[in-house]
Amino acid sequence: MSTTGRDVLRRSIAGQGRSVALASLLTAGHQGGEALVPVVIGVVIDQAVAGASALTLVAWLAVLGLLFAALSTSYRLGARFAERAAERAAHELRLDIARRVLHPAGGTEAGNLAGELVSIGTSDAKRVGTVNNVLPFGVAGMAGLLVTAIVLLTRSVPLGLLVLLGTPPLLYLAHLIGKPLERRSEAEQERSAFASGVAADLVAGLRVLKGVGAERAAIDRYRRTSRDSLRATLRAARAQAWHDGSLLALTGIFIAVVALVGGNLAAAGQISIGDLVAAVGLAQYLITPFSIFSWVNGELAQGRASAGRIADVLAAPPAVGTGARALPVPSTGHVQVRGLSRGALRDVEFEARPGELLGVVATDPAAATDLLDCLGRAADPLSGSVSVDSIDLSTVDSQRVREVVLVAAHDADLFAGTIVENVSTGPLVEDALTAAAVDEVASALPDGVQTAVTERGRSLSGGQRQRVALARALAADAPVLVLHDPTTAVDTVTEARIAAGLASMRRGRTTILVTTSPALLSATDRVVLLDDGRVVDQGSHATLAVRADYQAAVLA
Amino acid sequence: MSRELLPVADGRRIRAVVGELLGRAKGRTVAAFAILVGATAIGLLTARLLGGVVDLVVAHRPAAELVPPVVGLVVVAVTQAAAAAVGVSLVARLGETILAELRERFVERALGLPLDQLERAGSGDLTARVTNDVSVVADAVRRAMPELGRSLLTVVLTFMALAVLDWRFLLAALVAVPIQVYTVRWYVPLAKPLYASQREAVGSQQQQLLDTIGGARTVRAFRLGDAHLDLVGQRSSVAVDLALRGVRLVTRFYARINLAEFVGLSSILAVGFLLVGAGSVSVGVATAAALYFHSLFGPIGTVLAMVDDAQAAGASLARIVGVADLPAAVEPARVARPVDTSVKTSGVGFAYVDGHPVLRGVDLEVAAGERVALVGASGAGKTTLAKLIAGIHEPSAGSIMLGGVALEELGVAGTRRTVALISQEVHVFAGSLADDLRLARPSATEDEMLAALEKVGALSWVDSLPDGLATVVGEGGHQLTVTQAQQLALVRLVLADPPVAILDEATADAGSAGARVLESAASAALAGRTALVVAHRLTQAVASDRVVVLDAGAVVESGTHEELVAAGGQYARLWAAWSGQRG
Repeated sequence: MSTTGRDVLRRSIAGQGRSVALASLLTAGHQGGEALVPVVIGVVIDQAVAGASALTLVAWLAVLGLLFAALSTSYRLGARFAERAAERAAHELRLDIARRVLHPAGGTEAGNLAGELVSIGTSDAKRVGTVNNVLPFGVAGMAGLLVTAIVLLTRSVPLGLLVLLGTPPLLYLAHLIGKPLERRSEAEQERSAFASGVAADLVAGLRVLKGVGAERAAIDRYRRTSRDSLRATLRAARAQAWHDGSLLALTGIFIAVVALVGGNLAAAGQISIGDLVAAVGLAQYLITPFSIFSWVNGELAQGRASAGRIADVLAAPPAVGTGARALPVPSTGHVQVRGLSRGALRDVEFEARPGELLGVVATDPAAATDLLDCLGRAADPLSGSVSVDSIDLSTVDSQRVREVVLVAAHDADLFAGTIVENVSTGPLVEDALTAAAVDEVASALPDGVQTAVTERGRSLSGGQRQRVALARALAADAPVLVLHDPTTAVDTVTEARIAAGLASMRRGRTTILVTTSPALLSATDRVVLLDDGRVVDQGSHATLAVRADYQAAVLA
Repeated sequence: MSRELLPVADGRRIRAVVGELLGRAKGRTVAAFAILVGATAIGLLTARLLGGVVDLVVAHRPAAELVPPVVGLVVVAVTQAAAAAVGVSLVARLGETILAELRERFVERALGLPLDQLERAGSGDLTARVTNDVSVVADAVRRAMPELGRSLLTVVLTFMALAVLDWRFLLAALVAVPIQVYTVRWYVPLAKPLYASQREAVGSQQQQLLDTIGGARTVRAFRLGDAHLDLVGQRSSVAVDLALRGVRLVTRFYARINLAEFVGLSSILAVGFLLVGAGSVSVGVATAAALYFHSLFGPIGTVLAMVDDAQAAGASLARIVGVADLPAAVEPARVARPVDTSVKTSGVGFAYVDGHPVLRGVDLEVAAGERVALVGASGAGKTTLAKLIAGIHEPSAGSIMLGGVALEELGVAGTRRTVALISQEVHVFAGSLADDLRLARPSATEDEMLAALEKVGALSWVDSLPDGLATVVGEGGHQLTVTQAQQLALVRLVLADPPVAILDEATADAGSAGARVLESAASAALAGRTALVVAHRLTQAVASDRVVVLDAGAVVESGTHEELVAAGGQYARLWAAWSGQRG
């Protein structure tokens, strides 16, 4: 199914169609009512001129009261419906995006940084949702314009035409005056935002600055940035002030013209005093619908752009196809790699026997990640195959593959929750915490294994994070576990302990350890050496240790 | 470790600091205020002049007499606009200059904070202040304050103008005030907690998406998709519900404001009607009064709606001034100079928490120019020892000497000049690569920078960057790999050129290629310096002059690599596993 930005936008509006329609109706009532307020003021003035009775005044004030009640209620309900339509549509989009990104077949990460995908799920979903909030107000602006037109034209055609035809050129003029200023001020506001960015950046790197005694240099640099940014901001503020000023002047002059023409018509007896007052009030009011239109336009443009980005994610082709076959349960964990080529891999051939702890050393890091992708069916081989229990993985749905093969990536993320919650994805939590030396981590933390993990694990040090991630992988007790460099940030003493723990915990379960760490490799049953994407040798760590290329990859 | 947040200024200190900054520009402050008052006052003539037009028509004057008030309207429009533009520019200048001065003081004090104080407070506190609080205050200065100020001015001056028309108009307008006061008193206590929980809900919704989408690969690998979708749905629903509660509250607020508008406008119209009937004011004056009040709808709404914005800005300002107001660091009266580049610790002990010592009686001597590797499990105290020698924490027992001088006699600046610590934290500063390097040596020439890059073997990849040294790196710029970022830290070390260097960097990248690049880079950067290397790979230990093994906060072995391997102790066992010979 191909999805375009237009589809996304249309579905998002249609999904909340009832709310959007109700909101449009109600906010239209509100703006129409706002336009009628100057008319009622005019009528009351007329009654005063005519020397009408106090009863008439009371009657007209009651009308004014009804008008206020009506416009206030329509606004209140209309704004609620509009906001509900916006929030709900954004919510649905967020879920759609998350569902697509998490789909077992993958494919959305290609060409997208994780941060970009997150921003599509938050800002872009919000922008598209906002279209539902904006559309009713656009309709309302039209209603306000319509009421004004009818009122003015029924009182006096020339005055009506003057106000209606005069407003658009007036706003266009203001737009022309404002345009170069706006563009400049946008660029300058960006530069001024830069100063606070630099401050945050320096604070983030505070330890690094202190490490090399660079505080003074950093303070001096910040002062310069701050002053530059101040100058830019002031230029922008001045430009903005003069832009607002010219709009103010233009509106004032326009009202003067309306007063002149209206005054002449009233003097000639063609319109009443009340009509004159209403015309002046409406000339002031008309700025509202037109500024609503320009706001709606801007939001729609942003909404369309965001919808396009969302469509790209939703329509991203899956990284792997589906598959109808199933892997036998329970799995023996017999992994065979036959003639596998993909990316940096050339005709790779090896097997991990049931229950074996197999080390894989790749001299090229790209070969290691390509192998991992194929083992977990995050990608399909270009040629050759990966099979488990003699069933080719490319014929098995990727969700089913992962029930048997767990690939724990090197930079695996932790999730919000406590350490133990992160690890509790499988049955063997206690053993895994010990094997991965998380018990040591926990003893240094305030609440032990109940310590909360925040900022995607960034609240822990690199070594602590790796150990928790490793424990999670071990706890899952997968029939086939593939680990990629799980201890690069762990100290050598602990690494040796982990190697022993890992080997004993996985005894009888197939484990493929893709790593260049000698401490881990020395615990394996057998090691496969990949050089330039090809298998060049297999044997124990100790026997391979005599090879120069193995030493260069592992021991150097 | 218990949290000990950074100070927050009280109202008195805020007023004192802002007053001091305003006082520096007294002339400008007065001028800005005067011009804005003038602009607003001139603007009020509009309704009077329109009333004049109405009076002329009512009096059946010839149409030609309409020209003077209409010309007046044009003059008022242009003058008011120009004065407003000048006034607003002046106010912006005032506010922005104060803001700039405040944020500069803030950054200066923040960067001067002792690291142990910062660690007690948690770096999140400072980061939140420099990002959120500074932008909340900047936003207030840029948008809310001018709008609030102008609206407030318009309201006050319009009320005065109503009184000038006829004091009874003012009374009529004031009828609306109790409703407005009540509305605000009803709204603010409800809005504050609601908005706070709304911000929190949006934050946790974003955090969840970051968790889920950022960790999508892990979610798929562990088949946690459904659980994570549930979480995203839940967090998003909470945020949606709160947003809808927010809009319900705001619309109820505006409904009450609408009521106040109606009550005020009706009483003005009624008073006008009665006064015109009694012949005490003209129709034009009544018109002007009605137009005045109608034109107040916008400004009054603005003032009332901004009450809680102003409160939020005040709270942020208190957190900024709290840091900006900290006293500057003091240097010892007499600063001693190191006689050589040796390092000596005697009987050093340290505990983050009383009763849980991390280091116990550590005696360590590093001769000038010697390179010593520290080996030990995490928690053995390697990093703590490194921090103590770099002067970041003070030992709770024993003493540390650099070049024969105790750290406290060297002073903060002297210690920084003598010893550099390259920690596990990698940070690439946003901006050009040259700017990043010049932090370590502000006077560095391009040649010096290139030489330093060459020394640690980083020149080849720097040359291949799109703009070489001018390439923008860091947040929002060209993304460097972790290995490259760690190499940059070593380049900074070469440029800062301290006689003593402590290296505590872990290789976070996958594979050994990065580690090898970094090890040779570190070797080059340490040449000619007294060095203490916290070894994360044993090859670092092999390359050192001496290996010191720490266990549970105490030195247990010390000697050359060969000596320790031969001794058959803890180090020898590690080495055996590492090199593939089963111990």
